[in-house]
Amino acid sequence: MNANQQTVFLVDDDAVFLKLLAIDFQLQTDFKVLTFETGEKCLENLDMQPDLIILDYHLDGVEKGVMNGIETLDKIKEYSAIIPVIMLSSQDRIEVAVDCMHHKANDYIVKSETSFIKLQTVIQSIFNLKQIEKKLNWYMDRM
Amino acid sequence: MERIENTSALKTCLIDANPNALMIIDFKGNVLEVNQKLLSLFDCKKNSLRNANLNDFFDETDFLKKHREIFLKKNQSEIHSFLKLKNQTIAIVLISLPFKNEMGKVAGAVIQFKNPAIVDSNYIFNPEEKIGGKLKNQSSDLSSQEISSRYARSLIEASLDPLFTISVEGKITDFNNASIEVTGLKREKLINSDFKTYFTEPEEAQKVYQQIFEKGFIDAYPLVIKDHKLTAVLLNGSVYKNDKGLVIGAVVVARDITTQNKIEKELIEAKEFAEKATQIAEFAKLKAESATQIAEEAVKSKQQFLSNMSHEIRTPMNAIIGFTKVVLKTELDEKQREYIEAIKISGDALIVLINDILDLAKVDSGKMVFERAPFKMAFSIAAMLHLFEPKIQEKNLTLIRQYDEEIPQVLIGDPARLHQIILNLMSNAVKFTNRGKITISVDLISESKKDVTIEFAIADTGIGIAENKITSIFENFQQATSGTSRIYGGTGLGLAIVKKLIESQGGCIQVKSELGKGSTFSFRLKFQKTSESVENILPFFPKDDQIKGVKILVVEDIALNQLLMKTLLDDFGFNSEIAVNGKIAIEKVKKNNYDIILMDLQMPEMNGFDATKYIRNELKSKIPIIALTADVTTMDLAKCKLVGMNDYIAKPVDEQLLYSKIVGHLKNPTSTLMSNKSAILENKKRCINLNYLMTRTKSNPTLMVEMISLYLEQTPPLLSSMKESFASKDWKTLQSAVHKMIPSFSIMGIDNQIEEMAKSIKNFAEEQFQMNDIENMVYQIESVCLQAFDELNEELKLIQLN
Repeated sequence: MNANQQTVFLVDDDAVFLKLLAIDFQLQTDFKVLTFETGEKCLENLDMQPDLIILDYHLDGVEKGVMNGIETLDKIKEYSAIIPVIMLSSQDRIEVAVDCMHHKANDYIVKSETSFIKLQTVIQSIFNLKQIEKKLNWYMDRM
Repeated sequence: MERIENTSALKTCLIDANPNALMIIDFKGNVLEVNQKLLSLFDCKKNSLRNANLNDFFDETDFLKKHREIFLKKNQSEIHSFLKLKNQTIAIVLISLPFKNEMGKVAGAVIQFKNPAIVDSNYIFNPEEKIGGKLKNQSSDLSSQEISSRYARSLIEASLDPLFTISVEGKITDFNNASIEVTGLKREKLINSDFKTYFTEPEEAQKVYQQIFEKGFIDAYPLVIKDHKLTAVLLNGSVYKNDKGLVIGAVVVARDITTQNKIEKELIEAKEFAEKATQIAEFAKLKAESATQIAEEAVKSKQQFLSNMSHEIRTPMNAIIGFTKVVLKTELDEKQREYIEAIKISGDALIVLINDILDLAKVDSGKMVFERAPFKMAFSIAAMLHLFEPKIQEKNLTLIRQYDEEIPQVLIGDPARLHQIILNLMSNAVKFTNRGKITISVDLISESKKDVTIEFAIADTGIGIAENKITSIFENFQQATSGTSRIYGGTGLGLAIVKKLIESQGGCIQVKSELGKGSTFSFRLKFQKTSESVENILPFFPKDDQIKGVKILVVEDIALNQLLMKTLLDDFGFNSEIAVNGKIAIEKVKKNNYDIILMDLQMPEMNGFDATKYIRNELKSKIPIIALTADVTTMDLAKCKLVGMNDYIAKPVDEQLLYSKIVGHLKNPTSTLMSNKSAILENKKRCINLNYLMTRTKSNPTLMVEMISLYLEQTPPLLSSMKESFASKDWKTLQSAVHKMIPSFSIMGIDNQIEEMAKSIKNFAEEQFQMNDIENMVYQIESVCLQAFDELNEELKLIQLN
């Protein structure tokens, strides 16, 4: 395994969608993919230092008493504010999007057949941004 | 004054006075005498050279020999060689003068060393190694200055590139031999001439030395020398200064780049050529692609044309055959009967050909849809064999049937296609067999919980097929011998269709044959088992004269077909009335009572579907309606069932079948296509479509299995959660369950409508406004999912099998 390989966490309680997304990542990207069906399991594994987390908005769909997506998002940001989190939801509603953004999600994507393509673009721009930030910090240090 | 003796001291004095370095050697090369100049040049003492040999000073292994050959035999005046000094080798010119002894033979030579170009002032000639002398550095003197100037000159002359020095005014002040060669001018002419005049573009040449004097140098300036072949050159140059640091002129080197230019040109040409070749190749590729496309389109349009034509021919053919049959029932004399029989046989052959072409086109274009209906296998086979009885009797053949009783009574499959396959093989067997027997056997090969595999074999004792023809008989328009069609008739399409029909259903056909002894065609097909009973499948009714006074409405727009149908029905002893379109049919149904309606589908004013819909929905009549269709395979069976038709019959109408269907529906009027659950299932299309999943997983079977298994694991609990929460009005759970199901519909390729329904349910669960359809939607989603589970389980098995 490549030491530089970046790790992505996929978190969704819809096992079918989760698996399909994982397949997309495995077949089309170089990411190391780890999937979790609950927010709790994702949080337990945060010390693996994922480079990116893709989180479902609706994690408490069927199982009762588990964390929902926003709660999980808050916990992740509490643990480390720098891990980028992209929210996924089947709801194309402005409130959901605004809610995600208020809780410091890096982006919000509606589940559809094309969501993986959108994800790829978003991931790319997040990583570009990270890179630029890093460079900027480096120059700031020099100055 | 004392007279000076001509002594050796005098001789020594003489040679010492010579400004050149001199060395006298004997014939063997041993050093006899050297002068002071040589000693100072080599910087050593005379003693140290006492035992030295000429060879010791040179790099060449036997310089003495070379020396001897050149000076004694070839009479050359000079020899260029390299003098071996410590750590370095320098070029030197030797001039040698041989001297002779009293006998007139060469005894030795006087050698003069010229041009010892000492570039490195630190050089040390070290004769110590061989001679053992001690040295000290030689300081420069006048002659060594001269020497180094000559050396510089020789370097300049050695250059193959033309070399000029020019004055500030641009006059040539000096040049080397190469310049003379390139310009083709004499030394006198060159000197003090204008530098720029030797180039094709004098202004450019002027710029060169202007630039040199401005900047102090020039680097790779391209010009062309005006010689006999226009040599392209690159000019490099720099200024030189006097000891006061004033610029007094410039040195210019003209490098001949003809060769480079040539290579460059060749390279460019080669590149252009390669590019052109690529272009040509690409053009050829495009051309080939468009040709392929045109060819494919041509094939398609040919098929389309054939298919359309066949269809158009079939309608009038039906009338021709129908009326021929009618005429045959009238009283005819022998000749007339013979002619009419001939018309009928030709007509039958033509209709078979047309149907074959249509079928083939359908299979090729993938339009052939296989039904999944319950049917009685044994009954189906028996009914079909019935058709061959007259022919078999006529040819005096024996028909042997072997039917495996283990085969389940009712199976799910496409009886029409099975019928077509066996019909083709049987008619071949009958056609090609003149004596002996035809054996048809149906055997159960394997049985699982869900399905059975059955092998059908048709063996004859006919003419057989030559071994080398066995593979080609399944090709379109192929028969085993070119004479076959002349003797036996047929189009050569039958087996091609049979093969395609079998393979499209996942089976395969085999043939064993021996020329002159007979052939055996066998194939295996899979059929699903079912617990359905087949009470609703109409049995075959033979003609019964007891049934009389039946009133039938024939809805048909084509006059010929009206007449044909009327003739047939009259013949059955039934009463019939004609309606030319749906509208008139409805009017008639309103006014009169009929026992059954035969309904054509395509009609002006109002078509068969709309008419049936009206009769069922508006008139609330349950009168049996049988659709008449020209084309069973492409006809919208599902639509027939949907509007409430009870049955269908294909044109050209088979007399017996028509009779049987009419009587069957009269006896059992509730029998409809919608009457049992499996009929609905058969009506339904597959609800899943794995194309999307296959693209996403790149058809990786492991990933496919994982995805399908996950779906089959996740969805059933959601489904029951949906039902339960709907029943208990737990809207929040309903919303969650449906929400989670939504993405999976499109993943499994389930119809978008279902997903929309799920979304509606979810919206309803959120806001709980009144909506009557919700219950129906929950039910529909459930039934689609249950069907999807079945289909996915099958797919799962298929993938794992492969």
